[in-house]
Amino acid sequence: MRRWTIALSVCLALGADAVTLAQSKADFSGTWRLNQAKSSRDAVGNTPDIPFASQLEVKQTPTDISVLSTSVRQQPLSATYKLDGSQVNVQAPEGITETGAATLNASQLVITSHRSFSSPAGDIVVEFKEVWNVNGNVLTVEKTRTQSGESSTKQAVYDKL
Amino acid sequence: MRVILAFATVSLGVLFAATSLQAHHSFSATYDGNKPITLRGTIVKMGWQNPHAHLYVDVKNADGKVVTWEVESAGPTTLMKQGLRKEDFVGAEVIIKGFLAKDGTPTVNASSFTLVESKKEFVNDEKTP
Repeated sequence: MRRWTIALSVCLALGADAVTLAQSKADFSGTWRLNQAKSSRDAVGNTPDIPFASQLEVKQTPTDISVLSTSVRQQPLSATYKLDGSQVNVQAPEGITETGAATLNASQLVITSHRSFSSPAGDIVVEFKEVWNVNGNVLTVEKTRTQSGESSTKQAVYDKL
Repeated sequence: MRVILAFATVSLGVLFAATSLQAHHSFSATYDGNKPITLRGTIVKMGWQNPHAHLYVDVKNADGKVVTWEVESAGPTTLMKQGLRKEDFVGAEVIIKGFLAKDGTPTVNASSFTLVESKKEFVNDEKTP
């Protein structure tokens, strides 16, 4: 009986290690610069349908991920997301209110955000969903913009500096 | 007389160049890339000039008030390459995707627009300089 218990314990321990390995999370840390040549043309053109940052500075811990987005066309946005999907406030330029949440699984980071601002057409609400995938020194971000019931998705590629 | 004519020609050239440069401003000087906006309305006037065509669009707000928006688009050459003519605009219903002006006025830089009747989307096809 004792042998069986020991064998079972060993199997469980090995199994747990295997699960841990399989679930090891992707690491997005680093400074990433937009690669215009590899991105969708209408993601990086003169007037893109969906705004992408020119550069992303990412710091990741087991529980949080901080993202600073900078661009030649946009004021910086920064946020520290809890990786459990809870809502946080995004530091946005004056006149813009934004909240967001992030979840991280084995290979993907998903960031959803809710942006609002006033305009001569009334209050504007835009929803964004970003799906990040990292492969070595290449980061791919697929971003969906939903506004006034319409959605569009574009993809941008970033290189690690 | 010849000197005066030459001087006048040069002056006019400089004037036109300056006007063109002023009109061809950078995006970030005028528009906010963090404020994407979608508008639907009727085109009431068309400014068919280089370097950018300008659409003037009546848009009804949620409270029923009509606001006329100025929409900066691609230049006539780019629009014509996509099969559009000056006559295609006034009176047409349009959906515009673009970015709001920084100064709070009803002004937009269009990244694309759709003429509702034709159901075709036209993009501002200029590449980043």
